[in-house]
Amino acid sequence: MMSDMPGLNLAEGGRDSARLVRVWDPLVRVIHWSVLLGVLLNAVITDPEGDLHEIVGYAILGLVVLRLVWGFLGVQTARFTAFPPNPRAALAHAGEILRGDRSVHLSHNPLGALMAYNIWATLIVICISGIMMGTVRFFGVEWVEELHELAFNWLMVSVVLHVGGVVLDQRRTGVALVKAMITGIKNIPDGISTK
Amino acid sequence: MKKRIFETLWPGDADVRRAKILTAMIIVQVLCATFFLIDVVLDFDAGGHPTHLALETFVAVVLCLGIWVLMIELRALLVRMEQARQGLRVARGELAQVIDSFFDRWGLTSAERDVGLLILKGFDNENIARIRGRAVGTVRAQSASIYAKAGVDGRAQLISVFFEELLANDPPTGDARQAASL
Repeated sequence: MMSDMPGLNLAEGGRDSARLVRVWDPLVRVIHWSVLLGVLLNAVITDPEGDLHEIVGYAILGLVVLRLVWGFLGVQTARFTAFPPNPRAALAHAGEILRGDRSVHLSHNPLGALMAYNIWATLIVICISGIMMGTVRFFGVEWVEELHELAFNWLMVSVVLHVGGVVLDQRRTGVALVKAMITGIKNIPDGISTK
Repeated sequence: MKKRIFETLWPGDADVRRAKILTAMIIVQVLCATFFLIDVVLDFDAGGHPTHLALETFVAVVLCLGIWVLMIELRALLVRMEQARQGLRVARGELAQVIDSFFDRWGLTSAERDVGLLILKGFDNENIARIRGRAVGTVRAQSASIYAKAGVDGRAQLISVFFEELLANDPPTGDARQAASL
């Protein structure tokens, strides 16, 4: 290598030197933060009986469906094939973490992938049950309302787990994940291999 | 003309700008399509007029097709940008090899290599001294030694050595390649 000084290696992509990898495309990032904004609005600010609550809910549904379509049409790291829902891989990954493995997954890691699918499914359940509550056919039907609230509570549990997972993974690998979801670039530290 | 105004208003990489615009268009259209589709569903639920419903459904489907096209465009653009970056990375790697081989050939010490690299990156002696935590005098002596070993007059000539190598029409001089592959 030319130089051992940090930040001076000209040849990017050397196997185990510090490097920047573009992982999240703009669509994934905008959807992620817009959905967060929408969920915050509807959980905290809007009146559940009001029009705004409905409109924000529609927007969230549209964004989640867009993300799912992008999972088929999109670029490599956004595709479902990059992070298939695989409970066995998730368990294996949990084992690796416990054994002190510090490798970085360029898309979602297997545990994070399960959480992503879980949150998308939960959001869709919340949105659909919410829309049903406004229809003539299901207006005032009890199980629909209960489903809406139950799914919302599960979403809150999921969000806490999601944020916890991000914090833990950031500690484990040293990759600034929140920053990566803002800039799209994962900054992979020295001596960490990628999958 | 139009393009120029746009570029002054929003400077930067044209492809990055295009990707941002496409992303924004996709998001906005998806929101429109969602409201439209849900309106169709709710109208259907409330027993709306069939012709009106058919028209609304048609418009919604066309809107969705438009979004589909935009998404394909965005993907193509992002893939192209990634390929361009990869090309740049390869070029950078080759430049690094060329630099490496010249430094090898001149027999620079490891401190001189670091200083030489910083010179090529455009830092002046004061800044190099600060980065490396050495006295300016030391760096000045090291750069003088680099120029002497390379047989050049100074900074500008040192940099032109590498440009000459990269711009040369004939295949790279044998020893540069050999040194790099060693």
